[in-house]
Amino acid sequence: MGILLKENMRVLVQGITGKEGQKATQAMIDYGTNVVGGVRPGKGGEEILGLPVFNTVAEAKEALGQIDITTIYVPPFAAKQAIMEAIDAGIPIINTIIERIPIQDTAYFLAAAKEKGIQLIGPSSLGFITPGVGRIGVVGGQQVEDIFTPGSVGIISRSGGMTNELSWQVRKAGLGQSTAVHVGGDLLMGTTYADLLALFEKDEQTKAVIIFGEHGGSYEFDIVEMMNKKLFTKPLAIYIGGKFANVLPEGMNIGHAGAIVSRGQSAEEKEKALQDVGALIANTYDELVELVTPFV
Amino acid sequence: MNLYEHEGKQLYKKQGIAIPKAVLIYRGEDIALAYDDLVVERVVVKAQVLSGKRGKNNGILFCNNQKEVVAAVEQLFTAQINGQYVASVYVEEALDIATEAYLSITYDTKTNQPVLVFSQQGGVDIEDVADDHIERHALDIRQKDIDVDIPFANELWHCFLEEDARLVEINPLVKTKDGQWIAADAKIALDDDASFRHKEDWVHYESRTMMGRPPTEREIAVEAIDQGEKYYQGTAGKYIEMDGDIAILFSGGGASIANMDALIKQGLKPANYTEYSGNPPREKVHQLAKIVLSKPGLKGLWIAGGVANFTNVKETFQGIVDALDEVKPTYPIVVRRAGPFEKEGMQLMEDCAKRNNLTMQLFGKEMSMTESAKVLAEQVNATV
Repeated sequence: MGILLKENMRVLVQGITGKEGQKATQAMIDYGTNVVGGVRPGKGGEEILGLPVFNTVAEAKEALGQIDITTIYVPPFAAKQAIMEAIDAGIPIINTIIERIPIQDTAYFLAAAKEKGIQLIGPSSLGFITPGVGRIGVVGGQQVEDIFTPGSVGIISRSGGMTNELSWQVRKAGLGQSTAVHVGGDLLMGTTYADLLALFEKDEQTKAVIIFGEHGGSYEFDIVEMMNKKLFTKPLAIYIGGKFANVLPEGMNIGHAGAIVSRGQSAEEKEKALQDVGALIANTYDELVELVTPFV
Repeated sequence: MNLYEHEGKQLYKKQGIAIPKAVLIYRGEDIALAYDDLVVERVVVKAQVLSGKRGKNNGILFCNNQKEVVAAVEQLFTAQINGQYVASVYVEEALDIATEAYLSITYDTKTNQPVLVFSQQGGVDIEDVADDHIERHALDIRQKDIDVDIPFANELWHCFLEEDARLVEINPLVKTKDGQWIAADAKIALDDDASFRHKEDWVHYESRTMMGRPPTEREIAVEAIDQGEKYYQGTAGKYIEMDGDIAILFSGGGASIANMDALIKQGLKPANYTEYSGNPPREKVHQLAKIVLSKPGLKGLWIAGGVANFTNVKETFQGIVDALDEVKPTYPIVVRRAGPFEKEGMQLMEDCAKRNNLTMQLFGKEMSMTESAKVLAEQVNATV
């Protein structure tokens, strides 16, 4: 049955009247997602794509009843307010595609979401898809039927484009996906690899997981810890992109703070630590599928 | 954007953090006059570069008179410090140091919150200081003040918040022999994504690069593409100029990273690193492609991206075609792309190749990006 998304979950779209919001709403409806309404301050009472529009998330909730997931399409300078509105309304799952949110704003709403036990996927997340059940956001685009089919491979990617590309490689190999999640590429992640692996571990449909990771950050070490503690026991293949970055000066690592906060976590150490706990390391992204094929 | 020491210190001063008396010197300025105006005998002459480890790479020199200062500044202007271009030189009063401490605030990805790091033992070897001599204080982004007995902790916190920094660091935080705390260095990384809140202040910062050279004309030109009102509608402003001869037009951040790795594995050398994403309009891509293709001595062009979710292949390819029509390259071009309106996009490319007699190979999702790097390598090697 995949993770995160269940049949008939009720979905709200914040920023539904904008160009990207409308496109995403249509994409979700076309794939069978149960979109129940949208929010756009000042446009309450209007209708778009046959769906009711409300001024606030609270108004939407009052009129529509239960909302399981909200997905947010507003410009970056309006992100904090829109996301805080969803958190204050207690929507249990929040997805946001918004890129270039100031990190201070992200830290603010992530702290609030954590306190309320809300699962926030993003920022900068195109969304996620459980083939045959539905999709949140525009993952798969118009070619969703060519790329996705129900199957047993779970997919996690830091990159939106690569979420789709990996899913296609899975399909091309004659396999299908359980759920594919774009976690977003920001420094601070609302939902991490480890959070999703915990869900994939419990999901019977998922037989193996592939991950497209990127250099920088220390999130891969959470995976090592999980596998060490046997909290994740299924076959896992991972590609960490960006080895070429060695030839470039490390933009983020001025000063020593990064090195002190997360000591001893270079790309090589990441790969070695992952390998030691039994993860399969891919040299190119196309290898990911080959590595898990024997297990699915 | 990473700040130079002298810029960072001004932001510290604004919050009430003590900084030494100093003067900044650019190339061509009168060094002797600047030193005399400072009216301080013993000084530290410091190269202004964006990376750390200046002290260990001869970027910091100690001088006692005008003659020494002139020689030191001139020497730094001809040097590269840890592979970095020296933009300017800072001449600062030497301190009578009793102890050197370390203080910083940055984001901790374990908690998704800021963390303050303090050590009584600071200075150049901070990364070797034992863990039990380092204090870490988890902060909450929503707190106004911090209640710790660490010099300048609150001032630094206010700087971090008000300036939208991703990192603020003072190393060393010096205690002088007469018992005063003073920031002897400053490292600040500002959050580019918060630029809309600091428009008037940040526009005054000079262009900069982490490479061992000043930013190139192409890099400066590309940076301008994503500025203006619609800055967040797709990204087309990423360009790092490199030494190779293969022009790069990648779409998608993740794909670009995987593709750079694949290109280098094939033994090819990139002329640039470039990536556009998030469905940028035709005009942005056109400007970007024009600049990418303007580099002399190119031997190949690789246009590659994954199976796009929502980036319009036709619209973005139209921008590239506009540039190809103008430049009409004679070297081999390999294209690998799929996604919305891919048929129309590929048709545009094919027509463009025909009318300009280009050597172009087009691939869709039947071939992986990695495999298309091989095709490009074969083509380029056959041409040379």
